[in-house]
Amino acid sequence: MKEETGTIVENHHIQNEYYLIKMRADHVSKQGKPGNFIMVSASSTLEPLLKRPFGIFDLNPPYIWIYYKVVGRGTRLLSTLNPDDKISILGPLGNSFPVLENETILAIAGGTGIASVYFAIKEYLKNNKVSLIYGAKSKNDLNFLHSLETISLAGLYLYSDDGSIGIKGVVTADIKKIINQHGITITISCGPDEMLNRIFWIIKDLKTDDYASLEAIMGCGFGICQSCVVETRNKEYKQVCTDGPVFKMEEIQW
Amino acid sequence: MVDLSVDLGFIGLKNPVIPASGTFGYGEEFLPFFNLDLLGAFVFKGIYKNKRMGNPPPRIQETPAGLLNSIGLPGPGMKELKKIIKRVYQSTSTPIIINVCGETDQEYLDVAEYFDRMEEVAILELNISCPNVKSGGRCPAQDDKHTYRLVKQIKQSVSTPLIVKLSPNVTDISAIAISAEEAGADCISLTNTFLGMAIDLESRKPLFSKIVAGLSGPAIKPLALRLVWEVARCVHVPVIGMGGITTGQDVLEFILAGATAVQTGTINLIEPSASIRIIKEIEQIMKEQNLMNLRELRGTLKT
Repeated sequence: MKEETGTIVENHHIQNEYYLIKMRADHVSKQGKPGNFIMVSASSTLEPLLKRPFGIFDLNPPYIWIYYKVVGRGTRLLSTLNPDDKISILGPLGNSFPVLENETILAIAGGTGIASVYFAIKEYLKNNKVSLIYGAKSKNDLNFLHSLETISLAGLYLYSDDGSIGIKGVVTADIKKIINQHGITITISCGPDEMLNRIFWIIKDLKTDDYASLEAIMGCGFGICQSCVVETRNKEYKQVCTDGPVFKMEEIQW
Repeated sequence: MVDLSVDLGFIGLKNPVIPASGTFGYGEEFLPFFNLDLLGAFVFKGIYKNKRMGNPPPRIQETPAGLLNSIGLPGPGMKELKKIIKRVYQSTSTPIIINVCGETDQEYLDVAEYFDRMEEVAILELNISCPNVKSGGRCPAQDDKHTYRLVKQIKQSVSTPLIVKLSPNVTDISAIAISAEEAGADCISLTNTFLGMAIDLESRKPLFSKIVAGLSGPAIKPLALRLVWEVARCVHVPVIGMGGITTGQDVLEFILAGATAVQTGTINLIEPSASIRIIKEIEQIMKEQNLMNLRELRGTLKT
């Protein structure tokens, strides 16, 4: 964990509100692990005031990639950055997905949740079999399909709410069937809370080990402000930034 | 060579910059960023007698140039904190300040006495902005008589120097400051966060479970500066100013208004090494203005 100044290499507008930033970040690119996140500010004026958290989408030292959707002031400003612009970074932060070998893994991503599992999928593919369920509202919200088709996944299942791509429906529709079909031993998920909640209740009695990367409103990202708490099953609060963002699903009060 | 040291009377600090309670964890979280020895002092997150969970989320909302928080002072309780203090004390010679909280006067007293017995604790800061269960949720800081009574009681029981931290959410802050001083406070710090609120239009509900929340950050700097100026004019004990400080220039403005030292707050969340940058900026401005020490500047506002 370190404060560093990143340099934008490319701020690629994918489609609609979706962007992929490639930036040079010497420290984060060397230290980052799948599941880690960074806090980012595109502003030099303290307006907006807080840094914003983003999962590390991918890295290849000295570069990292951040996938984001413009949803507010922070991401709007991020979308205006040009090559060579500087960006203030704190990271890498949080824990990471477990290191696994010889497992049969299912990754489940909802919308921009792909940002937190893509890097993990690529790492896992070196020593494991990996399948992916990836869904969003419509085909306009599902990105990186070309890359996903070329990284030798054991299975790629696409879903859209409106049926404009893949199967019409939500990502949780066929989870049990897919788990049985592939003999899945581990699941990793990232997406809206509602989606994670549904996943938990569907797979809680299966013999898989299940991990979720949680999203939260964060103030600092390194454990100081204590704002990003999530309630656990034993009625305590854990901090998404330092205890997570990756949790075993059964730890969380869904 | 400029002299950044300041004298609070009961203790000298190598410089006037003190990270504030609730924005600096227990200090050790900042070890990856800088050596704690570089700070004037630092304040631990506020502590109650027993373990507390804090408020349900959401706990923060960003506002223009500010941050609303309703964290609810979660913490491990004073016995656990003692272990942390002993550990952190090993990593720095910088004075450690414990921010003392309580839901009742007795709890404040118990916590103050507990840490009074630790040689590792240099200073106590009394957080009189905690809702008091025996005063219908009002905090001592909102009542000059309650402030006097509480500070007097604690001063009679502890020998560690006592800073009293004021709330800005009062009509006449000078009256509270004078009460604290008359009751024996060694120092006054201000200001705590300003009460504010946030509303969720869709649900037509307050965003925070406690309805109101505390505003901090650059948005409150002018408000805090005015209060520090007002309090510094009417008490004789040293004043520690805080509220929205993000630069060395901000610090020197608070010192001009009468503060002897300052606390940095919200900026620590955004830029972990901010306090160190701020110390360097103070030094730079002093050089530019041919100031040999900060005493020359304190309270010299031309009005």
